[in-house]
Amino acid sequence: MISHEMKKVAEERAARYKAAVELKEPDRVPFMGLGGDVVAAYAGITSYEFCFDYEKSYQATLKYLREFPSDQPLMPMTSLANTVAALAFVDYPDITPLVSNIDGPTNDILGVKYFRFPGRELGENSSPQFIGKDFMQPEEYDELIADPVKFCYEKIVPRTITGLQDLQSANALAAMARLGIEKTRQGAAMQKFLLELQKLGYPLSGTSMFLTPLDFIGDFLRDIPNLIKDLRRYPDKVKAAAEALLEPLLKLALAGKKTGVEMSFIPLHFNEYLSPVLYNEFYWPTLKAGILGMLEEGMRSRVFFEGRHDPHLETILELPAGWGIAFFEKTDVRKAKKLLQGHTCIMGGLDPGMVIGSTPAKLDEHIKELLGDMMPGGGFILSLGVNNLPRETPIENIAAVYEAVEKYGKY
Amino acid sequence: MREQLLKSFVDMDEQEAVRIARELVDTDGGAVAVLDTCKEAMEEVGRLFEAGEYFLSELIAAGDMFNQIMEFTLPKLQGDEVTSIGTMVLGTVQGDVHNIGKDIFKVMAEASGINVIDIGIDVPHEKFVEAIKEHKPELVGMCCLITLGVDSMKRTIEVIREAGLRDDIKIIIGGGRVSQAVMEHVGADAWADDAARGVRLSKELLGKE
Repeated sequence: MISHEMKKVAEERAARYKAAVELKEPDRVPFMGLGGDVVAAYAGITSYEFCFDYEKSYQATLKYLREFPSDQPLMPMTSLANTVAALAFVDYPDITPLVSNIDGPTNDILGVKYFRFPGRELGENSSPQFIGKDFMQPEEYDELIADPVKFCYEKIVPRTITGLQDLQSANALAAMARLGIEKTRQGAAMQKFLLELQKLGYPLSGTSMFLTPLDFIGDFLRDIPNLIKDLRRYPDKVKAAAEALLEPLLKLALAGKKTGVEMSFIPLHFNEYLSPVLYNEFYWPTLKAGILGMLEEGMRSRVFFEGRHDPHLETILELPAGWGIAFFEKTDVRKAKKLLQGHTCIMGGLDPGMVIGSTPAKLDEHIKELLGDMMPGGGFILSLGVNNLPRETPIENIAAVYEAVEKYGKY
Repeated sequence: MREQLLKSFVDMDEQEAVRIARELVDTDGGAVAVLDTCKEAMEEVGRLFEAGEYFLSELIAAGDMFNQIMEFTLPKLQGDEVTSIGTMVLGTVQGDVHNIGKDIFKVMAEASGINVIDIGIDVPHEKFVEAIKEHKPELVGMCCLITLGVDSMKRTIEVIREAGLRDDIKIIIGGGRVSQAVMEHVGADAWADDAARGVRLSKELLGKE
């Protein structure tokens, strides 16, 4: 049972977040909470257990959230996105959730070549990691452009998923069946976890992800250094591929709408590699079209601008005011605020390196100054630039951040 | 021809730079000229990056061009024509399997005259110690992309200290998520979150600039 009191807490938290997105001043600055591998360490479990044992992983997260409550629930960071497989099954929206997010147990079944998991390819206290490779050759651009979904299903899925390397085989059918069974087991554990989150007063909202066409090509097909060469050697093909990928990638993100998702997550990666000239020519057109395409369907976006996005900040003003959240990693949030105030909600501001390596007193001072500069006028959500603190992060530093938010975060 | 090579390299005209280098390398003293010009070009690309005129894509493209040209240039050089300003043992720390940042840094460091011993990714602490004993470098470079690498860098430096080797070397850490605070936390001597800065600081640590 979820108590009346906790329902009210959840409403307050959701309202705080919504107010910031709508560029207003809430009662207190919304705070995303500090998560990552430290959540597993705090519960005394290995990162391997965190990624492979649903019950331990959910219990560890709940323990941490009871001690360190935030405005959005932390989800255990135990799975990796396989957007190639999701795109291959885009016309089967009931199947895409099975293949799009892969955690330890499902990776044991599929053997996805992009992924490395703790306790398998990595030491038991490592984080799960994604490693790209050139799974597509430059002479295959035409095939990708002609039919991206077919190309991903017929060519890339067999190359990148060991269990599906021969789509005609009994082995592949067995892998898909096993995947279904495992996802059912995981789904049951997840339902229990979500109920516990609600009991702790957390608002729940589904998630949906949009990957930009260039990140899709860079991460899943060509690998980043090769894509950089392609921009110079085959610029027209890269552009045509990005345009061809836009529609199916949008379709994938919009599938979440039917389950009530109101905001999609867009993690950018290739943005920080590009000069403004290359960004504006190759990257921004399909990112902008994606954000606008979802907005037309009533979905806002939360865009994670990896690295330093400073050289490209002005392009954000081409979007309509209130379009969503700009989540910055290393971009100067004060500079961003000057430019985007009244137009875009800004999220970020906290450097994970400081939380790891600083002291409670310095963190208190840092957050006081940061909030003093960022809160006026609203439209700001406090978050780590990358929400992944390593296992040995000093707990007193984490506590200091939560205390400082309470102390200095009220409007 | 050297000026043309320098210009096309810095302007990112890959085909032209490779073409001129191929022509120049077979002339008398050409291999040394190609090597020196490409080093100068890489330094200029690094400078343009730090000035905010070039971006990561240019660093990667320049590194690729440098490697392509060196492939046919280095075999034509005599041993004593390739000089080094110091040795660095370089690796991505234990638990982290990323290599893009390390590889960009490596080629830029080599172009600046540093002899780089690349010991790979997900490198156990002890392997750093063994490599320091074997190669006796002046510098050790530790990379990580993910934040987990911070714990790992700290441990690696402790293990190097326990082995009694810390005072013999300077340590620079690199990666997207390292900072001054991380450097102080792990006990390194310098930090860089981009390759150009990393090379500049490495040269400073070697007392070369």
